[in-house]
Amino acid sequence: MDIAVENFAQALVAGLLVGAVYGLMCVGLGLIFGVMRVVNFAQGDFMMLGMYFSLYTVGGLGVLTILGPEAAPVAGALLAGPVLFAGGWLLHRLLLGRVTGTRAGGSGQDAQLILTLGIALILENGGLIAFGSTPQVVHRPLSWAAWQLPLISDHLGTVFVNKARRVACLVSVLVGGALYWFISRVRLGKALRAAADNPEAATYMGIDVDRAHGIAFGVGTGVTAIAGGLVATYYPFQPYVGFDFVIIMYAGVVLGGMGSILGAFWGGMTIGLVQQLSTLVLPLQLQNAAIFVVFLLVVQLRPQGLFGRNVERA
Amino acid sequence: MSGDRRRIGLPLAAIGGIAAVWLALGMMVGDSYYQLMLTLVPIWAVVGLSWNLLSGYSGLVSFGHASFFGLGAYTVTLALVLFDITPWLGIPLGIVVGAVAGAIIGFPTFRLRGHYFALAMLAYPLALLYVFEWLGYQEVALPMKRAAPGWYMQFGNYRVYLGIAVAFLVLALLISLAVERSRFGMSLLAIKQNEPAAEAAGIDTLRWKIRAIVLSGALCAAAGGLYAVVLLVVTPDSVFGVLTSAQALIVALFGGVATLWGPLIGAAVLVPLSETLQAQLGNIIPGIQGVVYGVAIVLVILLAPEGIYWRVRDRLVRRASRLRPEAVPALPAAIPLPVQPQPANRGEEEAPFLVVEHLSKSFGGLRAVEDVSFAVTRGSILGIIGPNGAGKTTLFNLLNGFVAPDRGRVALDGRVLTGLKPNRVCRLGVGRTFQVVRPFARMSVLHNVMIGAYVAERSDREALAAAQAAIEEVGLAARADAIAGGLTTKELRLMELARALAGRPRLVLMDEPLAGLGAGEVETILGVVRAIAAAGVTIVVIEHTMQAMVRLADRLVVLDHGQVIAAGAPDAVTRDPRVIEAYLGPKWTALRA
Amino acid sequence: MLEVEGLTVAYGGLTALSAVSLSVGEGQLIAIVGPNGAGKTTLFRAISGTVAPLAGTIRFEGRDLLAAAPAARAHLGIAHVPEGRQVFPSLSVYENLEMGAYSRAGRREWRRNLERIFALFPILEERRSQPAGTLSGGEQQMLAIGRGIASSPRLLMLDEPSMGLAPAIADLIFERIEALHREDGLSVLLVEQRVAEALQSCDMGYVLETGHIVLEGPQHVLLADDRVRRAYLGM
Repeated sequence: MDIAVENFAQALVAGLLVGAVYGLMCVGLGLIFGVMRVVNFAQGDFMMLGMYFSLYTVGGLGVLTILGPEAAPVAGALLAGPVLFAGGWLLHRLLLGRVTGTRAGGSGQDAQLILTLGIALILENGGLIAFGSTPQVVHRPLSWAAWQLPLISDHLGTVFVNKARRVACLVSVLVGGALYWFISRVRLGKALRAAADNPEAATYMGIDVDRAHGIAFGVGTGVTAIAGGLVATYYPFQPYVGFDFVIIMYAGVVLGGMGSILGAFWGGMTIGLVQQLSTLVLPLQLQNAAIFVVFLLVVQLRPQGLFGRNVERA
Repeated sequence: MSGDRRRIGLPLAAIGGIAAVWLALGMMVGDSYYQLMLTLVPIWAVVGLSWNLLSGYSGLVSFGHASFFGLGAYTVTLALVLFDITPWLGIPLGIVVGAVAGAIIGFPTFRLRGHYFALAMLAYPLALLYVFEWLGYQEVALPMKRAAPGWYMQFGNYRVYLGIAVAFLVLALLISLAVERSRFGMSLLAIKQNEPAAEAAGIDTLRWKIRAIVLSGALCAAAGGLYAVVLLVVTPDSVFGVLTSAQALIVALFGGVATLWGPLIGAAVLVPLSETLQAQLGNIIPGIQGVVYGVAIVLVILLAPEGIYWRVRDRLVRRASRLRPEAVPALPAAIPLPVQPQPANRGEEEAPFLVVEHLSKSFGGLRAVEDVSFAVTRGSILGIIGPNGAGKTTLFNLLNGFVAPDRGRVALDGRVLTGLKPNRVCRLGVGRTFQVVRPFARMSVLHNVMIGAYVAERSDREALAAAQAAIEEVGLAARADAIAGGLTTKELRLMELARALAGRPRLVLMDEPLAGLGAGEVETILGVVRAIAAAGVTIVVIEHTMQAMVRLADRLVVLDHGQVIAAGAPDAVTRDPRVIEAYLGPKWTALRA
Repeated sequence: MLEVEGLTVAYGGLTALSAVSLSVGEGQLIAIVGPNGAGKTTLFRAISGTVAPLAGTIRFEGRDLLAAAPAARAHLGIAHVPEGRQVFPSLSVYENLEMGAYSRAGRREWRRNLERIFALFPILEERRSQPAGTLSGGEQQMLAIGRGIASSPRLLMLDEPSMGLAPAIADLIFERIEALHREDGLSVLLVEQRVAEALQSCDMGYVLETGHIVLEGPQHVLLADDRVRRAYLGM
């Protein structure tokens, strides 16, 4: 039995599974960046809210337990989407919309960046107040169960596939696909892209750019919250979990070419693979450091992203 | 920043006063907890000042100052723990580490702009955080040295720490003051306002940014080292964490960016507030400190985007100017400049001063400038005209080095300019004015112009003299002390001209110097431009107001679709059928026939 | 149908337009000509609402346009084809046209409009699934005009449709604009640097110079007036 091959296959599968969920997170952030050109530091905290939403609807309050232990966590995660959509939309309406879009005035991009940092601090510390600091996980029978897949033939080894991660991966791909359909086929989705491409011309088409921004921010928030709900089934979390993921998300979005939805998904996938494959050569504690190194390299060497279409985005 | 920048006594007295008040407070407070708090305020103020040095003045927002803070803290700690080196030496060592880290981070990261810069800066401390965890330094305590506590910076009396912290603060304030009042700070502000324009004004932007991040890293590391000494324990989270980076930026933003008082105000308000809340309510409401910082950021961005200091100052300045309307001197009538009669053949027999040969540049498939050649003699005025999109601005960008040509060359007085960076081109004597004037609204006219003077002058004193001479030359002397934000369009145009002249250029490129001016105002500017040319400065000008152009220029070059379609004296060029067609449409002559 | 009166616009201390008045009647083609920096684009932006005027009124079909939000004005029947084309580069040609048809009227008459657009500019049909950012300048201009038509406008505003285009393509564009005016009876407000082409087919022309209307009148009067040439060339 070849340990190296087995380890590699194991890391590859793990990378693909977490990569899909990262991809979904990145898609949410990528949509916000693509449409509004806002770097949103609070994205990780929206994810954290999605996690707690899922936790309380599935576990604590138990509303969803009637769906059974298998479906309830997925339903909880999916339900976090519309709820956080509303939250994101309101946040844009009340705060972000004042310094972005047509009302940006002279405040510039620094104001937006810093405002989202403030929102992030409020959300995660408010989360600490509301939820406490004990790490939580959304329990489900699948959480710690795994399938064993033989590798071609048994003597090459066996790959373990965590069932919770497999479900999360599947749902991520489905939700990501649905968002891609929305953005490329639905009139409103196309209007969001038009507003992203050229806000002034979009106004001349009769598209209300500020409203488009609100919708994009809401959808981006909701999608990331769904990803959060999915991660919550296998990753212990606490209110500060956001910053663990926000860099992963940015790395993915930058890799994918800032502003490209499909690219963001592949970028997130790449980050998942880098993270898991790095454990083959690096100590476990450094797997996130490996992400930052990849991120810095991409930002330095290819800021237009690995997957971005090279349409001019000055 | 208004008034004479030599007047440095007031800020020095203020710094002394603040230090004295803070030390007195420390003497009065007996409780060791409050003494710790009083010690933390100057430490965070230093961190804020260090952030301000880079991000406040240059506008490049750093989310990664925790890198420097943490490196400083860990250098001091590990030096003591591993090598028994006293913090008295450890802190200077940390300062060196911080400065080196600044250079190492700065060189690659300054290639990035805007969002990318901010994001990349965020990644450095987080990567360091994981590295230090992996190295096994999750929680490192400074060992107690009972034998020689003073030698190891360990004092029973907290007031000693307070004294050291205040000394650090005074030092950081003095450094900030020196930066703010010199070409260092002015260059950084120029970068913040408009980086290309700063390059065009002869400022080596990369060099100043590197200097800023090195100095900033050193200061921040010093604060980090002192922090470790005071708190006696460091963890990767507490020194490399996002909250540390955020705190650096928050104290500066809250108090006011690009002023040394801002971080001080921010730290003095926010640190006691959040520490007290944490102490009183921390057990019941654990995240209260972060919430306070978050709310502070949101409120500042919405209500006073540049911080409390500027908000208050702007209000006071406005009130002062309302109370004393005579404080703003009335604009004197335009100073008549001796317009020298220009001989028709002026310069014709002279050797050309600026020579442009076969200059070409394409963007994608678009040939913006194609095989353009012309020559200009010394002291003459060349007008570049042509319809929208003809390639005029691209031509200027090629001349001053913003854009490198695909083919061809530019030579000034025999020296080839092509391939040089804009600040080098400027240093060789090419000044440039911009279509949109972006002044430093809160600075006086004199200080705005001084930025242009740094190119040619070595010392700040000489720059001041050169700026005053340039202001005199354009007839703006009566307004030299006025704040640029209150100038009329005409005065702004004149100030822009003075800024270009202050660098003692031999050639000035003027991009639409008359845009947005009324008929009478145009005459003033024309007079000034003619006087500049009469003094021997060569001028190339783009202008759409043709009535003015035909009277101003000695020769015109007409561009259409990136090519020269005509060149010569104004009256000949404006009657050239090809020029008329380019402007009025190919069918004009036919339709009128 | 469009009445502009005493329109004054200033930004950053610069007066871009001062007391400009003009009117467009039902089915007319009105040309506004003038050199660079005369304020032509600012005039269009004020009508579309992306800059706010200091003074003056704009009425469209009797309605106070300044009271309507910028994005709402497209739905009232005004199509603005902006300077420099400004197509949506990452959207396909077809999607760009769909965005043009964002207004209710545009959605209702989508099929008919699409046919008309493809008849005027067959190249757009060939490139319908190509991202607009990859089109040539001339094709982008055709797309920008098509996008305007897709909204079923009652007033089509064209800002410098010939800018930066090769003469042959510019001629073709002008031909199509004329066709739209003559055959479809569309009211057109045309801003153009090329005086000859613009004035050739207009009902009324205005000459704008440094924010003022210095000359106005029917085509033959303007063509005969040497002040037009002087407005451009100074002498």
